[in-house]
Amino acid sequence: MSEVAIPREVQVPLEGFVGEVLGALGDAVIGVERCDERRGFARIDPQRTVEVARRMLAMAGTRLATATGIDVRDGIDVLYHWCIEPQGVVVTLKVLAAGPEMTVDSIAPVVPAANWIEREMHDLLGANFRGHPDMRRLILDDSWPEGVYPLRKDFDQVRDRPPLPPAPPAPEEALP
Amino acid sequence: MAVKHWALKKSLWVYHVNTGACNNCDIEVLDLLTPRFDIERFGMILVGSPRHADVLAVTGTCTRQAMPRLQELYRQAAKPVVVLAIGSCAGAQGIFTEAYHMGSPVDETIRAVDPNAIIAYVPGCPPKPEAMIAAVVKAWDVIDTL
Repeated sequence: MSEVAIPREVQVPLEGFVGEVLGALGDAVIGVERCDERRGFARIDPQRTVEVARRMLAMAGTRLATATGIDVRDGIDVLYHWCIEPQGVVVTLKVLAAGPEMTVDSIAPVVPAANWIEREMHDLLGANFRGHPDMRRLILDDSWPEGVYPLRKDFDQVRDRPPLPPAPPAPEEALP
Repeated sequence: MAVKHWALKKSLWVYHVNTGACNNCDIEVLDLLTPRFDIERFGMILVGSPRHADVLAVTGTCTRQAMPRLQELYRQAAKPVVVLAIGSCAGAQGIFTEAYHMGSPVDETIRAVDPNAIIAYVPGCPPKPEAMIAAVVKAWDVIDTL
């Protein structure tokens, strides 16, 4: 990986059920930003994303609700939001896709629910997911150019908009 | 031509095109068909193919993805065809004008393939079914001038 320093969050004490969940992930958790009775925010080691996903899925009543991405200074923050239904809590695990290559390990082979949302993050933010089974374009238009990511901070929604596709050929022109 | 236009006015068939609407306008279009508004008394029915249509009821902002499809649908419809741009989005893309995935507005999109297209605008978010009926009545006046 690159030399970009992985940001360390303010470490808050682990308490309650969310504290147990984050504690069970061991030293894969490298920072805890929030830990209360309803919500947990923790940053995890980018090298151990898949292992953490496997452990989260093995817990009772967990499911991947969704994932989101944020364009930050050091790369792209990928946030996996895990619901734990019996206790009614949501635990968000952040992974930094650091550096110019912006790559993290895909959890889609382990958690099928992450398949499409990782494709969407690849489309809109340009995060790359190593080992994703099917990284085709998901939500952008077919005429959208490769390598233009509309939800990056440096993309201007009006000025940087790619040119529109031409009208399809009229029927008489389409005939051979 | 007079007989043809007289007949056309009594049996406008509508094809409903959604070019990225939030479904609120589509719900209002469905309300048009209910007994309260009952557009079938004007001879208007929804049809399943643009090739049968005399009216294209277009809702939505016209996204990049929908833009070439809308142009293709317009070409497939038998002429003369009236385009109803239903809702603020179809009129001028509404609040979505500055979004990255927008195509050109519905009127510009259709004028790109036919500069003389008949386009009636129905503003509102969503417009009332009465407003859509008023637009159809205005379209009748245009058909009279053809």
